[in-house]
Amino acid sequence: MTLPYTRQEMMAIATGREIRDGELAIFGVGLSMLAGYFAQAHHAPNVRAMTEGGVYGATPVGGLPWGIECNRISANATSFTSGLDALGCLVASGRCDVGIIGAAQVDRFGNVNTTGIWDGEIGDHYRPPKTRLTGAGGANDIACGAKRYLIMVAHEPKRFAETVTYVSSPGYLEGGDARARHGFVGGGPSAIITTLGILRPEAATKEFVLAGWYAFSSAEEIRANTGWELKIAPDAAPIPEPSDSELAALRTVDVTGALRKG
Amino acid sequence: MASNKLISLAEAVRRTSRDGMQYASGAALPIGSDAVAFGRELLRQERRDLHAIFHCNSQQLNLLAGAGAVTRAECGFTGLEVFGFANGLRRAVESGALALEDYSNLAMALRLLGGAMNWPFVPATVNIGSDLQDRSAFEPDAYPSRTKIPTVTDPFSGRPVGALSPLKPDLAAIHVTLADPLGNAIMLGTEWSRFELSRAAKRVVLVADAIVDTACMRQFPNLVRIPDIVVEAVVHWPFAAWPQSSPGMYDVDEEHMRLMNKALATEEGTAQYRRDFVDGYADLDGYLAMIGAEKRASLSATATGFLLDPYRPWILPAEVVAQLQAEGGVS
Repeated sequence: MTLPYTRQEMMAIATGREIRDGELAIFGVGLSMLAGYFAQAHHAPNVRAMTEGGVYGATPVGGLPWGIECNRISANATSFTSGLDALGCLVASGRCDVGIIGAAQVDRFGNVNTTGIWDGEIGDHYRPPKTRLTGAGGANDIACGAKRYLIMVAHEPKRFAETVTYVSSPGYLEGGDARARHGFVGGGPSAIITTLGILRPEAATKEFVLAGWYAFSSAEEIRANTGWELKIAPDAAPIPEPSDSELAALRTVDVTGALRKG
Repeated sequence: MASNKLISLAEAVRRTSRDGMQYASGAALPIGSDAVAFGRELLRQERRDLHAIFHCNSQQLNLLAGAGAVTRAECGFTGLEVFGFANGLRRAVESGALALEDYSNLAMALRLLGGAMNWPFVPATVNIGSDLQDRSAFEPDAYPSRTKIPTVTDPFSGRPVGALSPLKPDLAAIHVTLADPLGNAIMLGTEWSRFELSRAAKRVVLVADAIVDTACMRQFPNLVRIPDIVVEAVVHWPFAAWPQSSPGMYDVDEEHMRLMNKALATEEGTAQYRRDFVDGYADLDGYLAMIGAEKRASLSATATGFLLDPYRPWILPAEVVAQLQAEGGVS
């Protein structure tokens, strides 16, 4: 079946739909930024977007920014401040409504690993990973401080683990009210949005369960690509395909077609 | 009395750096403002065993780590954003040659602020409850670590919080857009953590894309976030952040970002990169020729160029800067 959009575009649109107009939002680089600025271009024109470096009031020009301090996001800003300001005063403070982060590995309780891939468990002695990744960056700060956050990840079995090898950014830790132990001002991840569907946490246990699938995927395919026994939410349902206006808005943001290559 | 602090890059590295020191840079984001040229000069002068304090990785840390000049590093984000994983840093970490102590991006800024303020520790509401707190590359046998980010009790509420250790690097090389010969600086774009770093470090060298007359600072004093009183030396080095970008000045050099990161993925590639792009120039003119006139022109045609407009009248011509540099740094 040939679709008029890619799986990456579907994921970006599904993520963008989670952003509401007027929210204070922080976007990271890459997919996260495309999803966020898609929301701004489509249904959330008054979203108050910032990057963790403290770029405010900007929209990307000339394509997907190479980084969050890239000139493509610095050409029409209304304020430049600092990391301390954006990640501290506006995120760790609890003011930020929503953040979007990525993951190399995510688990049943929405904990995220972006630090490394080890062969097996790390063990009691900390040893270098077989493959070093990008580290926690600002995602840990968003995971601790944002009122809610969204996790975007390609849906592959190796990325969906029962337990992540290394917690770079805390989700619901061991589940239930485990976050309360640390007094995080932020509420935790509200959704894991993937190339195959959407997972959301159960209210009490905080275990992520299947909430929806796309026109091109199915509950069976998603369960087969998830590293834990994935439950299906009672109200799980197909996710609407991108509308023409959604696709058009996304492609005005993704002018270089970064999401159409994958 | 404020004095002219302009000196050459080679002299600045000779004067302020030594093997084994805590060296801080990378105080902007991975593809943005950073004193990458200072890192090249550290390698040219064979500095080694560095303890790197980088708010985020950049091509500078990627290069220094890939070349084996760094044995310890403390860092937030360790990639190259859309350009992928930082291959030089990654290779050094995976081989065990470099111990990388992980923090979040806010934690690094808070630790620099703590150093700047001379606080005993900084209370952290981030990094706690994750492996950033429990795992320490500097003390690998302590699990969970009790010394990296110890849990302390908030004396007011009784709640547990993390204690971040303050940072006071021996030296900071800070990239700025504009500096005057006295060491006042204006940064276009986000300052990331350069404000905190300039107060936390024991010694500060500014590496500026352009030198302006001090009258510029008097026109825009609110924008001078690094004042001369915390600065020891000023280096004039156009395209100092290359191949990264400098808002208002030049865009990221996509081609060289990829070439450099690919080279740093192997020892052989790194050796070749050093021959071509670290040892491959004799002076600033040679460095600029190495980038190429055509490339510099295209990178300079940035959509952010208007950001520089208010300051252009005060930018000093190269020959005036050269004259000041010849006279400078003598105190």
